[in-house]
Amino acid sequence: MNLLELNGVSKVYGSIYALRNIDLAVERGEWLAIMGPSGSGKTTMMNIVGGMDKPSSGTVILDGVDISKESAKNLTAIRRDKIGLIFQQFHLINYLSALENVMVAQYYHSLPDEKEALEALERVGLQDRAKHLPSQLSGGEQQRVCIARALINYPALILADEPTGNLDETNEGIVMDIFKQLHRDGSTIIVVTHDPEVAEEAQRTVVLEHGKVARIVAANGEAAAYYEK
Amino acid sequence: MFWRMVGGALFRQRGKMMMIAVTIALGASLSTAMLNVMLDVGDKVNQELKTYGANINVAPKGASLLSDLYSVQDEDPAASAVSDTYLKESELGNIKTIFWAFNIVDFTPYLEARVLLSVPDSPVIQLTGTWFSRELALPTGETLRTGMKNMKNWWDVSGEWISDEDTDSAMIGSLLAQRYGIKTGDRVTVSLDGRSARLRVAGVFSAGGDEDEQLYVPLRAVQDLTGRAGQVSRVEVSALTTPDNELSRRAAQNPKSLSIKEWETWYCTAYVSAICYQIDEVLTDSVSKPIRQVAESEGAILEKTQLLMLLITLLSLAGSALGISNLVTASIMERSRELGLLKAVGANSAPIAGIVLAEILITGALGGIAGYFIGFGFAQVIGHSVFGAAIDMKPMVAPMVAVLALAVTLAGSLPAIRYMLSLRPAEVLHGR
Repeated sequence: MNLLELNGVSKVYGSIYALRNIDLAVERGEWLAIMGPSGSGKTTMMNIVGGMDKPSSGTVILDGVDISKESAKNLTAIRRDKIGLIFQQFHLINYLSALENVMVAQYYHSLPDEKEALEALERVGLQDRAKHLPSQLSGGEQQRVCIARALINYPALILADEPTGNLDETNEGIVMDIFKQLHRDGSTIIVVTHDPEVAEEAQRTVVLEHGKVARIVAANGEAAAYYEK
Repeated sequence: MFWRMVGGALFRQRGKMMMIAVTIALGASLSTAMLNVMLDVGDKVNQELKTYGANINVAPKGASLLSDLYSVQDEDPAASAVSDTYLKESELGNIKTIFWAFNIVDFTPYLEARVLLSVPDSPVIQLTGTWFSRELALPTGETLRTGMKNMKNWWDVSGEWISDEDTDSAMIGSLLAQRYGIKTGDRVTVSLDGRSARLRVAGVFSAGGDEDEQLYVPLRAVQDLTGRAGQVSRVEVSALTTPDNELSRRAAQNPKSLSIKEWETWYCTAYVSAICYQIDEVLTDSVSKPIRQVAESEGAILEKTQLLMLLITLLSLAGSALGISNLVTASIMERSRELGLLKAVGANSAPIAGIVLAEILITGALGGIAGYFIGFGFAQVIGHSVFGAAIDMKPMVAPMVAVLALAVTLAGSLPAIRYMLSLRPAEVLHGR
């Protein structure tokens, strides 16, 4: 059963197509990678799937709801209830501790629960760093706080934009292990990445070029589908 | 979590928040100073203006009627001397028993006579009897010192002021003295209907008016010369008054035209017409009239002074609002990623606006409180340097400044709040 469906999705800025007629379906529990060179439309696609932008045309069905026509207020509620966002630059609030950064997502979702937030930090191996400010954490640790924040409300879809883009090899490995564990636990994950090694961990990789799906590659390296550029 | 976020933001941006607090403090301090001075300035300016003379002339009824019939202006109050009606000197203390007794600063009676001066050509001059510095026992049991010395303190006197008991001395106007070569220490004789008085010139004064052509002596000296013991032809009163408005103007024309409520309001307000009315109530057969030029000038000066202060207050508040607007907008732009993130994780605009407003209002409150006390200090500096007296702390200023500071803070924050509401998480987090 599909969690996400994109049907004929296009996004136009002036006369430039950032996305052109994208059709894509993501099953529940699937781990999908989106790859492509700069300017291929990866971030635009992530913004649309993540309810932070609307397509110029087409429909985006997330968990049975067409989010392409929703108001800004409803999109905020959808982001809050169904999506966990992970950013390349972490985007932690630098005057709040690691624990409080996780609790911020709880605060706007329901009620802050310190015990639950600590458990989320424990899942990413940061229970001992809960009281530290972002400035006192390494890049890898900050990304793990960001992941804990994304997980805290049990989202239907985890959307990660270049989650390892700012990390060294060791931290990249730690973060990827977390993603693998999340996948094993049944989470649906979409990772936007430049890194083929990160994409290899996904079940499918969608390759975007010039705003179009150029090809979809399965985990075994075989082309799952092929689109003319 | 809300207060943790507000506190964190305040602490992290303490430099900028300090600037916002200082801006609000500046606006609030100027407002506090100007409002306190503005509310207190009525009395202060009135007291200042009262040092430049009387603003009410009290004449006997008959004299007033003649004055009205022949259109003699109030600016020539000595015109009452042509009448044969007089006021009773013994009743003058009653002036300090009226409802607005505390607003009566000074008063002095006059009795004029046309007399022959014993110099070559024997000119007829005006001899004016008055109180110079008379200690008066009031009907209330209190004592009061009043007279020319207080009321005409701008007179330029060479020699000395005379006392009310010294009925053999006189003060001569500078023009009269110059014309006949009379100096301090000289003796002159005045005569009227066969009676005469020899007077020592104790001082020469320059008043800049008709008084410079006259000879001033203690009231009793003129009463003795004219045989009008216990009588005065007019009284000048210096009173602290409230500027006229439509109600007081109607009342001045005919107090009976007012409704009971209007009449009470008018009677219990220190309008010059109300004080005149009350003086007439305590002096037999008297008619009190404001010396219009003085009263209207006082009102005009007071209104202009208050308008100036109001404008300074408004300009300072507008300046503060602009400063706050720039600072808050800069602060929001600096934090756009943080605010965009809150939207991305599911915060609606209202709770984010709540956080930003709470930060600004806390900063504004601290700035406002500091500004209030600084402003009160400013008011004292203004009071002492301009009026030579302390400015009373008006309780109503505190809530007024609080409301103004709140309004200015909110008005200054509006552009930043609008900018914040229009932030799109995709733009600030991903640059598109």
